[in-house]
Amino acid sequence: MVNALFIIAAALAAAFLLGLLKEQWRGAAYAVTLVALGFMTWISADWAWAFAMNGAAPVDIFTAGTEPPFAINLRMGRPEAVLTLIVNLTGLLSALAMKDALLALGRRAMAVLLVATMAFCGIILTRDIFNLFVFFELAAISTAGLILLSDDDRALSAGFKYLIVSQVISVFLLIGIIFAYHATGTLNIDGMADAAQALLPGGMQAFALAFFLMFMALVAELKPFPANGWALDIYESAHPAYSAIFSAAAGTASLYAVDKLLLIGGAAWLPAATGIGIVTFVGANLLALPQTKDRRLLGYSSVAQIGLILAVLGQRDVLGDLTSFIALGLLVAHSVAKAGLYWLSGLIAGRELTAWAALRGHPLMVFAFATFLCLLVGLPPFPGFYAKWELARVLAAEGRLALLAAILFGALVEAGYLFRWFGHAIKRDKPAEEISCAPFSVAAVCIAVVAGWALGLLWGEMAGFLFGRSNLLLALPLLFALAFLLLDFLPAWLKNTLAIAGLAGFFALTWTEYDPLRLIFAIIFTLGGAIVLLASFSAHGRRIGFYPAAMLMYAGMVMLIRATDTFDFFAAWELLTVGSYFLILRGKHSEPHALSYLVFSLGGAFLILMGFALAAGSGVSPRLTFDIASLSQLAQPVAPWVFLLLAIGFMTKTAAIGLHIWLPGAHAEAETDVSPMVSGILLKAGLYGLFVLLMSMGKQQLYGVELTTLMLWIGALTALLGNLMAIFQEDAKRLLAYSSIGQMGYALFGLALMNHLGWLMALMFVINHYIYKSMLFLAVGGVAKRTGTRAMYQMGGLITLMPLSFIAVLIGIIAMSGVPPLSGFGGRWIFYNAILDTDQRLPMIILFFSGPIAFLYLFRLIHTIFLGQLKDEHRKLKEAPFWVVVPQMIYVVLLLAFAVVPGIALRRVDEYMNQFFPEGGLDWSGLLITSNYGYWNPVAIMIIVGCIFMTLFGWLLFVNRRAQKVKQFNIVFAAERPYRPETTHFAWNFFAPYRKALGFLVQPFATRFWDAVTGSLHAAADFTRRFYTGNGQTYAIQLVGFVVVVFLLARGI
Amino acid sequence: MIAYLAMATGFLLILIGFYGALTNRNLLRMIVAFTIADSGVNLVIVAVGYMRGRTAPILDATVPAADAAARIIDPVPQALVLTAIVIGVGVTALMLAYAYRLYEKKRSLDIAKFMDLKW
Repeated sequence: MVNALFIIAAALAAAFLLGLLKEQWRGAAYAVTLVALGFMTWISADWAWAFAMNGAAPVDIFTAGTEPPFAINLRMGRPEAVLTLIVNLTGLLSALAMKDALLALGRRAMAVLLVATMAFCGIILTRDIFNLFVFFELAAISTAGLILLSDDDRALSAGFKYLIVSQVISVFLLIGIIFAYHATGTLNIDGMADAAQALLPGGMQAFALAFFLMFMALVAELKPFPANGWALDIYESAHPAYSAIFSAAAGTASLYAVDKLLLIGGAAWLPAATGIGIVTFVGANLLALPQTKDRRLLGYSSVAQIGLILAVLGQRDVLGDLTSFIALGLLVAHSVAKAGLYWLSGLIAGRELTAWAALRGHPLMVFAFATFLCLLVGLPPFPGFYAKWELARVLAAEGRLALLAAILFGALVEAGYLFRWFGHAIKRDKPAEEISCAPFSVAAVCIAVVAGWALGLLWGEMAGFLFGRSNLLLALPLLFALAFLLLDFLPAWLKNTLAIAGLAGFFALTWTEYDPLRLIFAIIFTLGGAIVLLASFSAHGRRIGFYPAAMLMYAGMVMLIRATDTFDFFAAWELLTVGSYFLILRGKHSEPHALSYLVFSLGGAFLILMGFALAAGSGVSPRLTFDIASLSQLAQPVAPWVFLLLAIGFMTKTAAIGLHIWLPGAHAEAETDVSPMVSGILLKAGLYGLFVLLMSMGKQQLYGVELTTLMLWIGALTALLGNLMAIFQEDAKRLLAYSSIGQMGYALFGLALMNHLGWLMALMFVINHYIYKSMLFLAVGGVAKRTGTRAMYQMGGLITLMPLSFIAVLIGIIAMSGVPPLSGFGGRWIFYNAILDTDQRLPMIILFFSGPIAFLYLFRLIHTIFLGQLKDEHRKLKEAPFWVVVPQMIYVVLLLAFAVVPGIALRRVDEYMNQFFPEGGLDWSGLLITSNYGYWNPVAIMIIVGCIFMTLFGWLLFVNRRAQKVKQFNIVFAAERPYRPETTHFAWNFFAPYRKALGFLVQPFATRFWDAVTGSLHAAADFTRRFYTGNGQTYAIQLVGFVVVVFLLARGI
Repeated sequence: MIAYLAMATGFLLILIGFYGALTNRNLLRMIVAFTIADSGVNLVIVAVGYMRGRTAPILDATVPAADAAARIIDPVPQALVLTAIVIGVGVTALMLAYAYRLYEKKRSLDIAKFMDLKW
């Protein structure tokens, strides 16, 4: 390996060489710069490889031929190799990304870039505290130089503000260094750490003050909130490729400097690091909320991420050896993502967040954007995800729950504003100016994307090696989904065929591995998904981005049912969440709804993470992995809290009342074939979670409250209010969406009954709801596609034009309303038997009450769309597209079959449930199903109802001969054209009297509540950020004030 | 005594410098104030290295290398001060260059005139 000193030597030599070149030889100068940076990168990479693969030992490099403390020494060890690699690689790629600026400004700018990169490496390598100061000053001077690369005039003032602050910092640092030297007699960091241990109490106090000054000086380099206005101005105005260095390389170097300093300070200073870190993380993320400028937003996010890593470093006392795994995971994710995003912003002309819509039409760049966001947020399979999991696990085990909650809250806010930005890019109007396609800049972005995925793979391997976790990126379903990224150039029909084959094939390969309950879910997730995908054959073109997202969601779902330990389960949960988010976002008007879906889902996911972490930390199982089955061994006082957290998390997905506001928009605005996926299939993931939770944990009491009783009430209220809200919808798809909320309420109620039949009923709802909701969404989607509207009062009389859709809706609503003979009735029958076993009367009555309400909206659905008068403009409509009708007809057959022989699906599950509830099962002899209270003969019911129907139908045909045909315009007009035509239509505000009576129940209380929450967060952030006045002097005063406040707090503690 | 006096003077200069830099809105005055603070820092560093009754750390005929350790003051702070001065010059020069460019841009040296970037 090459001596690490050559990193510094190469940069200096090249910088001097640049000085010898002629001013005009810019190309040559640029080549020299690239070669030098490449060489520096190679040295770091070579060392990193040696440490990782050959287990090389750390090497100390002595300068001046003398050992410390008489001369400066540098060290190349495992962390140094990795960190200098980050720095050098960022420098190299940024040099590519700022090629134009460098060529325009010439060799001097290139020399400054080399010096900056060298200075950051020096900060990492050196073991001498004064040398550290020198490298920091070099970094400051070169930073002030590189800020001027920007086209933005305002960069000039940002650079001056930075110099003011760096002057203040250097005064603190120097004073601190000299007194620390005075107390310990050495400038060597390791020597100082040893000497500090041996100090007498008197000397200790003086040393503590000196250390405090050094510590604050280096922490100030991390741009701690709120003393960071200067840094935000740099992020906003500097050349984006320099901002990438400032975020990734400078952040990396400063963090490692603080880490080295903490070696001297010892455990006493860890709480201070944690405190500053977490305040920065939460504060900066909150203030980022009202930002509308991309680079400033990224600046806030950078500040926040560095703060989070500082907090992790401060948790060294409990994290121990894990610290580097977690901190490095977060750091590489941050560096790659932030650098990539800054380079990407260099390609975009506008500075508003909405200007990123220019990326549309460039799938590779959209993919890069999505990759970087997922990296930043810490979604699987990226390093941040593994880091987040281990961090949560340890913090929960050590009882540091407040810190964990703060971290998760900050992460949620960050995910919120980052994905809101992504929504802008995908959905807003494309700006006039195209993105720049400068090959070097594009190359930098692409390398960052590759690095991001490679790091995901690497962290998966490390997590496997260290903790025995599975490498998520190597999971077959996920690989299959990711393969569609590479296949995205193929036509949609071909990809659709592949997707269907993949889902069916995966089921064929694995179906023997499931127990009866999981088998039902597996069938819905794979085969059910395949049936819905048939409808996607109606799409034309290539449908870029659809299949990766859809298959990611399906991959998450099959991984969910196959997961046995909590890590795999949680990873699958996040995968299906993010996949479905991308899928929902594809709808024409779905931008705000997709965002609210994602924020609610991630919020729920974080609660699940906390629940799992609490469970793992309870000491039930000493191993690093915590099986889901071990949840059953949890005892008081942890168990009910775990139950509560997990239950709320899962109920977010099933849209229980209060947490439901994301669902109507997300399901209604999604594309025609996406609505059945996210409604019919995805909602079942939440129910599966609840099944797993109740199977393993059963009943839990918190402060004397039976939590399942609470769920029972939530289920009943969800059913009632979901149905009530459904009847007042004018939009057919929204009606179906609200009805899903109600249906999930029924299922939740059934589960919470905690008896045999209750669970069977919930499972019946799982199957039924999949079939009829997929069918209805497809039917209504087909109609909406043909009529061009989803407002029901604009439809009517479509029965003759779209008979197949009519049949599907008719069968669907018969099944859903629970009247004989279809399977909905079976659900009801089991349900009535189930509630006879329970003593919860009041919620039961509420649930009864919501049954008839379902009739109202179902009636409206068929009546308004298919019956009544045909609209003039619809006279030439055709039946829905063939491929949209095909799955509907399959569902009709399935519904009829399931109605006649429900035993094929339920019988084995019924037996399976005997292990949880031996009492109260059903008897399945012959065609008869018998419970404790009565029997149900589906075949007989089908025959009887069929006979009645045929009789009535025959009679109707008979009397119909005498009916007089009324043409549409056979009425008297009032000679007045109404201002809003729909208000005179009988189907508009169809249930107005009910609204008068019950409207108070469907006021959007939950929506108002959540609006108030987000609104006040935004308002508070918008108010607080005015604190950054833009005045360099104020920033310096804030920094001094920050130091004083931390000093007072540290003294207080 | 002299060491304490130097140190007190050094801290006083730092405080004067900070006060000047944080209250003067003129860029040049701020820069001057920071050089005053820098001088204060340098004075403090030298004062820390001072030892009563010893001579400068220059090895020549009067101070042979053999008994230098007992006769000279601590050389390290002196070396540090040299480095700090050099760096201070660099930073001050850069700040002055910035001030010049800023003045060219807005024809003003008032720091409050350069608040385009905020929030």
